[in-house]
Amino acid sequence: MQKQLQEQIERLKKAGATYVDVRWYPVEESNYLMMWNGNLKSATSSRESGVGIRALYKGAWGFSASSDVSNVGALFDKAFDNARVAAERVTFPVRLAEKESVRASFVSPNRIDPFAVALADKISFLKKLDEKMDQPGVAQRVGELIFMRKQIIYIDSEGSEIEKNLIEVFPSIQVMGVDAKGESHSRKFSPSRMGDTRGWETVNLQMFTENAERIVREMNEVLVAEECPKEDRSVILLPGIMYLQTHETIGHALELDRILGYELGFAGGSFVTLNDFGSLRYGSTKLTARADATLPNSPGSFGYDDDGVAAQDNLLIDKGILVGAITGRQMVEEANARARKQIFNGSGGANRATAFYRVPIERMTNINIDPGNDGSLDDIVKNTEKGIILDGDKSWSIGSNREQFHFATDIGWLVDNGQVTRVVKNSTYKGETVKFYNSLSAVGDKSTWEVRYVDNCGKGQPNQIMQLGHGIPVCRFDNVRIGE
Amino acid sequence: MKDKILQTLRDLRAYALSKNVEVEFFYHEEDSYLMRFANSAISLNTNEHLIRLDITAYEDRKRASYSLITDLQKLEEMKQGVDIAAEMVKHAMPLSYQPTVPTFAESFADESAFDSTLAIISNEERLAYFNEAVKGLETDDIKLSGIFSCGSNVVAQINTHSEHTQYFKTSDAQVSIVLSHSTLKWEVIAEQSAQKKADLDPSALYRDLSFLLDRYQHDAPQQIPLGKYNIVFGPAASGDLLNMMNWIGFSGGSMKRGFSFISEDQVGTKVFSDKFNLTDDATNLDTFPFQRDLTGMKRTKFPIFENGVFKSFTWDQDDADEFEAKPTGHTVMHKSLVLGGGEKNVSTLEELVNLPRENDILYIPFLHYMNIVNPSKGLVTASSRFGALLLKKDGSVVVPYNVRVTQSLLDIFGDKVAWMSKSQTINNTSQSYGARNPTAIIVPTFIKVDDLEISHSNSSY
Repeated sequence: MQKQLQEQIERLKKAGATYVDVRWYPVEESNYLMMWNGNLKSATSSRESGVGIRALYKGAWGFSASSDVSNVGALFDKAFDNARVAAERVTFPVRLAEKESVRASFVSPNRIDPFAVALADKISFLKKLDEKMDQPGVAQRVGELIFMRKQIIYIDSEGSEIEKNLIEVFPSIQVMGVDAKGESHSRKFSPSRMGDTRGWETVNLQMFTENAERIVREMNEVLVAEECPKEDRSVILLPGIMYLQTHETIGHALELDRILGYELGFAGGSFVTLNDFGSLRYGSTKLTARADATLPNSPGSFGYDDDGVAAQDNLLIDKGILVGAITGRQMVEEANARARKQIFNGSGGANRATAFYRVPIERMTNINIDPGNDGSLDDIVKNTEKGIILDGDKSWSIGSNREQFHFATDIGWLVDNGQVTRVVKNSTYKGETVKFYNSLSAVGDKSTWEVRYVDNCGKGQPNQIMQLGHGIPVCRFDNVRIGE
Repeated sequence: MKDKILQTLRDLRAYALSKNVEVEFFYHEEDSYLMRFANSAISLNTNEHLIRLDITAYEDRKRASYSLITDLQKLEEMKQGVDIAAEMVKHAMPLSYQPTVPTFAESFADESAFDSTLAIISNEERLAYFNEAVKGLETDDIKLSGIFSCGSNVVAQINTHSEHTQYFKTSDAQVSIVLSHSTLKWEVIAEQSAQKKADLDPSALYRDLSFLLDRYQHDAPQQIPLGKYNIVFGPAASGDLLNMMNWIGFSGGSMKRGFSFISEDQVGTKVFSDKFNLTDDATNLDTFPFQRDLTGMKRTKFPIFENGVFKSFTWDQDDADEFEAKPTGHTVMHKSLVLGGGEKNVSTLEELVNLPRENDILYIPFLHYMNIVNPSKGLVTASSRFGALLLKKDGSVVVPYNVRVTQSLLDIFGDKVAWMSKSQTINNTSQSYGARNPTAIIVPTFIKVDDLEISHSNSSY
């Protein structure tokens, strides 16, 4: 098959294509199990295979994909024809930043292949957790197991050939209860990175059992809690919500295609402009953020992106100053040309597609915030006069340029004079991105730092769901509006 | 092709019967085309032809599914899928209720929402449409974005209970055109939904975009004060709100799971404004309807709210099985929601702007990134986007920066509704997650709601 694909690449090159790449997925598998109140509502497996072809002609992209590989020549022709028509409307001819041609492979770290684990064992795990969560106050209980496997063979017209074998595991549990007013409240748990591998071995019954007990207890506390007050307080974001804050207002805001206006028709843009790199005070000096695709054992670490560029660790925000973005080969060239200066030194290796039938676009890798020097969570609480600790991603809504946001969390603990006083329900906070990050007054140390996995980041048209990670510490922000 | 699809399903059924396995087959085929524009260029021109087959096996109360992306030449691969599903179901856990496998009493085929001329619209025609819709509107600063998404969609079904089949074929197009200022960052939008080629009318988009551009190019944007406003929602905003209500309002399963702001005892009571008439109307081809649901139930018009009175929850088969309710023909990939028009004679944005008014009106055409803050209260939050206008009572028009609305659906569609326009608009709500599933909601072009609070007002874009 590789030989056939290479021959077709050469054929399109001879026909006038300036660049061609193909991603062949010999196999992509998924397995999804969901138990709701003891009922195995979903026991689903899927399998797919196919090829996606990207051709560049006169500065315009064409793409074609199919699961039917019996006539790949026709698919290459279709991609080329799509590029030919797209070339009729070009304003900035696509150029690709230089890269090294490689023959390489990447295998995600897994000790026990989850696809080799018997279905009965997976169901047994969910059943045990369901029984554990079946406690007074719990009206709904949900356990989910998601397993993914992709084999991707990438070949391009510049001589690269890369094979990736990726396995992902995303387990989670959730409980929901109803308070005296008839309002529902929930609490959930999904594990952060554990150790050096992420196979079935991470589906740890003991850890889930302990956390099941915890989320049931905390949800019952929420059910009898008072409403979150409407006032300004310091917010102390635990990793269970800080990951999403980072994701939505640093990650998406710094995707270079958004900054350049390539998502304005749908997902939106960014308040960041090309003039901001090197000068915008994005946050306080305590804020250092990076896009680190070399972080061991995370879905945001994939070896090589779908431009064939090796994984990198790039600073995004250095002590509060904006210095980098999430980039691929096309966008860095356009950004430098538009800015008339060298902002980016080559691709950041973040161009990825979710499936063979989708085109690669800038996606987050592991968008991390470096741990700080403000101690443990206890230390931060002790040094907080009037605050609230927030955790759990209940709801999130962000402005189209990522300039402002509104989050609701599963639980809040009020902090007064350095002491946790009480739990509150319906906790929310909102803010403006730059003002918010400039109010960052405490960053927890390594003891508070976790790598949270994201299994469902959506972007693009046609829409693509991507998996990635966030390494984040506990963070405190001052003078934030809560309770609205 | 239809014959080949159905024959393949019959072959698979025969294979499943030979293996003594109880199985449902769900076939989905899409031929999708997407021309995407950004920065006034075609940023992506793509097509995908994909065939998905979902095989669900049953063994008394046990159920398991296997899905594959395949093609019609791969019958053996599909048969292997039957074997895998059959093996999976052996190890599945029994449900607490008996899942229903439907028995189709007759074969049914519906191609009434398919237009072959739309399904095969060419690259050149799509580009010509866009060029006409924005002719003369682009400048060095004002850039074009958007999509022309079109394609054909086939859904076919069979199961081991009967030899009868169901077959649905639709064509659809979703057009979205955005013009935005590359440095000032404002953006305006015009959209169109098409079920047949004759629905495509670039001049309508040109009219809307021209009108908005005239405002946005010449008026400096302003941060408007927080507080209560009389708001007119455009069709995209209304469609999004109704989509949310579909999830956390009248879905029987959501209600039973505590994820709804409507309770069982509210059936037959007034929940919303008496101007609120919501129907699931499978006779309306503009909604790309399922005229039979996936269990074979005939679908016509199903009233959900009449004059604000809640008539019924909607139940799909699985939720009905679990909660011992009667299914209502809503085992579908999407509903066909139609919100009835009102009395107000206003059908274009220009007419809205020219309406005499006693108070300021905030026009919000589009709500970006809507999410649920509290499902039990119907509380949602979202930001305005794409061409909001503040229509001052003195007749002047202000261009506002975007604002955030955090409100309950009970308030938005309750007694605060001042009027709904007589004219209706097809709001294409198709999402491109997973399999193609053309969806549209019919809404009054404009809905005016008084006294809604703005919780945040941007100081810039």
